Amino acid sequence: MDWEAFLAFCRKNRASNTQQITETVLPAVSQFLAHTGQPKLPVIWLETNDSGDNNIAFMNSTYPYAEQVFANMIDLLYSNTFMAAQGEDALQILFAAAEQYKGEFTLVVEGAIPTKDDGLYCVIAQTPTHRITALEAVQWLGSLAKHVVAVGTCASFGGPTSAEPNITSSVGVSAVLTREVIHVSGCPVNPDWFVGTLAHLMMYGMPELDELGRPALFFENTVHRHCQRRSYFDKKDYAEQLGDEKCMFSLGCMGPRTHADCPYRQWINYVNWPVRANTPCIGCTTPNFPDGSAPFFTPLPQKRPGQAPQDSPAEKESPP
Amino acid sequence: MSPKSFNISPLTRISGLLSVNVVFDNGMIIDALASSTMFRGFEWAMKNRHVTDAVYMTQRVCGICSLAHGAVSSYLLDELYDNEISETAQLLRNIMYAADFLQNHLRHFYIFSIPDFVQMPQTMPFHCQDLEDLRLTPEQTQRIIPHVAEAIKAAQKAHEILTVFGGKAPHQHSFLHGGVAVAPTVDKLTRASFLLQEIQAFVKQCLIPDTQLLADVYQDYFHIGNTPRRLLSFGLFRFGPKNEKLLWRSGVLDEANIPTVPDLSLIQEDVETSWFTKKSGEGQQLSPSPRKPGAYTWVKTVKYAGQCFQVGPLARMIITGRYAGGTSTMDRIVARSQETMLLTELMHDWLTQIQPSETPPLTQNSVLVKQQATFPTDAMRGALLHSVRLEGEHVAEYNIITPTVWNFSARDASGNHSPVEDALIGTTISRDSLLNTTVGRIVRSFDPCISCATH
Repeated sequence: MDWEAFLAFCRKNRASNTQQITETVLPAVSQFLAHTGQPKLPVIWLETNDSGDNNIAFMNSTYPYAEQVFANMIDLLYSNTFMAAQGEDALQILFAAAEQYKGEFTLVVEGAIPTKDDGLYCVIAQTPTHRITALEAVQWLGSLAKHVVAVGTCASFGGPTSAEPNITSSVGVSAVLTREVIHVSGCPVNPDWFVGTLAHLMMYGMPELDELGRPALFFENTVHRHCQRRSYFDKKDYAEQLGDEKCMFSLGCMGPRTHADCPYRQWINYVNWPVRANTPCIGCTTPNFPDGSAPFFTPLPQKRPGQAPQDSPAEKESPP
Repeated sequence: MSPKSFNISPLTRISGLLSVNVVFDNGMIIDALASSTMFRGFEWAMKNRHVTDAVYMTQRVCGICSLAHGAVSSYLLDELYDNEISETAQLLRNIMYAADFLQNHLRHFYIFSIPDFVQMPQTMPFHCQDLEDLRLTPEQTQRIIPHVAEAIKAAQKAHEILTVFGGKAPHQHSFLHGGVAVAPTVDKLTRASFLLQEIQAFVKQCLIPDTQLLADVYQDYFHIGNTPRRLLSFGLFRFGPKNEKLLWRSGVLDEANIPTVPDLSLIQEDVETSWFTKKSGEGQQLSPSPRKPGAYTWVKTVKYAGQCFQVGPLARMIITGRYAGGTSTMDRIVARSQETMLLTELMHDWLTQIQPSETPPLTQNSVLVKQQATFPTDAMRGALLHSVRLEGEHVAEYNIITPTVWNFSARDASGNHSPVEDALIGTTISRDSLLNTTVGRIVRSFDPCISCATH
């Protein structure tokens, strides 16, 4: 599959024929691997400070399902969530993999990085003499990785882990590295955004990123732009209460400021998304989530002053 | 031989980051420390937020049991706003709640627990699996392995049911104070019913027989990892217009055989050996202190009437009279699987009872009638409690005690242990090479969620 075809395919994915992804992408991946003789994408997945929602989101991937991703797309060298090994064995695997796949592996980080007190608010493993902090591990592995992927909003921008007053001084991964980081944000990430980014890295290398480091393929448009309830907005027909099948702008919707393809991609086998569930988008992919979206049910112009993110210089859907 | 200390760090295949240190002497574990090594500070982050933000904010405490936090926040808000919950909303809320339980229990058994007992294909991420003490025959192994992939699909379907009504998962949107923002239309109910049928078939045909097989082959684990028989549940599945009824009763079970109703005023939290220091002055002012001497975990100590209690599916099943076994590693695993089967039956009944409707069953009052509330319920891993004190419409104080706080409590000043440390201490192990495996099996049987426990 050529690059343009792949991009077009990712962009137009819809609920109507979900099998299509497995049928189209996996053979393309297999063909790619056979043709180039390349190994699968080697991945080291570090879990730091988040709720673990992003590994759950990954397990909600359909077409490919998680086990198909393991079998066909990635070699998951290290993962606190999924690996069979534990303790010393697991740590040895991490050290060996970092050495053996130096310059080749993709570092996936799930979670924010606390920086206060030398990062002791997140310890990924401890030896009898040392607590290995997330800060240390991300800086060490980040310097060896071919690509760094921050999965979820905590890893991308700090997210809920860095919500005010942020007593652990947590930050996104890129704030502790001096290299490019791909921000696949979302709270949690939509599995398509994450698996699609891995597929792009494996087959075509770096995807095109927006100005916030997010793969443009998934994040180029605002939620508002493709919202099914856009016609209500245009007619100023706003919901009066949660549960109304109208525009949620009146109830705090962050759609106009939020870049993501939720309205047409949707969630969990593509069956629903927050606005379709008669509730506002809370802007979970934005750099200032959750503080910039709070209070969640207060209309955008009245949210906490100075908090609402202006994450799109080219924003065209300003509220009336 | 003098006692030797072993670190199992990281203890993988759980939610969050955990290290366990055991002291091993003469073939026996004589001490154990379960150290939870992540901390975010949600109780601080909740302060000054509008109280209605609690449902979406507290779900971010946990990825694998997120709806439980949303649910208990919603119950709390129902009380603060004095909402009336319609019958349709009651059913729909419990369908969504149970769907999240199914997802959790299936993932725990097949993704987290199975590699402790079954030889996995030697492909990533199962490479370098510890092969000590894997006892299934090749035929039995062959039979179970394909179920892992099927379990991934079944758990995804459970989250699909939740999403049909909830908008997304984890961190659903529609289960809010006042009810549910999505109408149970006939198409949604039908989709949910057929998804449930497939999950139920998997539970019957795979989960139950696979659990039985492990219970038969690893029978000794009915004697390994025992805890004192002190069990606690806040009850499960709230019904009634004021969330006042419980389908599965709450209970405190001590030495007595008849459970009593928990008295929330007997719950106490402390931080003696946790990485927090108490500030002087009034109230419970804590500050995180990761270098505090003598401390070893971000989990606080929680006690009921001065004692530690085990919570979770096993506690629920025993307290409600559905399980007659002990408090061992295998009892915890078996009780969780049996509960999974019961949950699919309940969901089936609820989906049959619910009247299709095109009106979302949601009525939110807008005037606060209270400034303070505490609400208990059981979550996937056991007793969960949220309490809040308001100033106006904003949170002045928010406290969360999650199930894994009960099971993974920091020991107290006099050295009283949490259920998990109790379960580890006293375990005899015939050879050093079995230590990792045995500790892993005992610890995982509690289904720890460290992101929750430390929040």
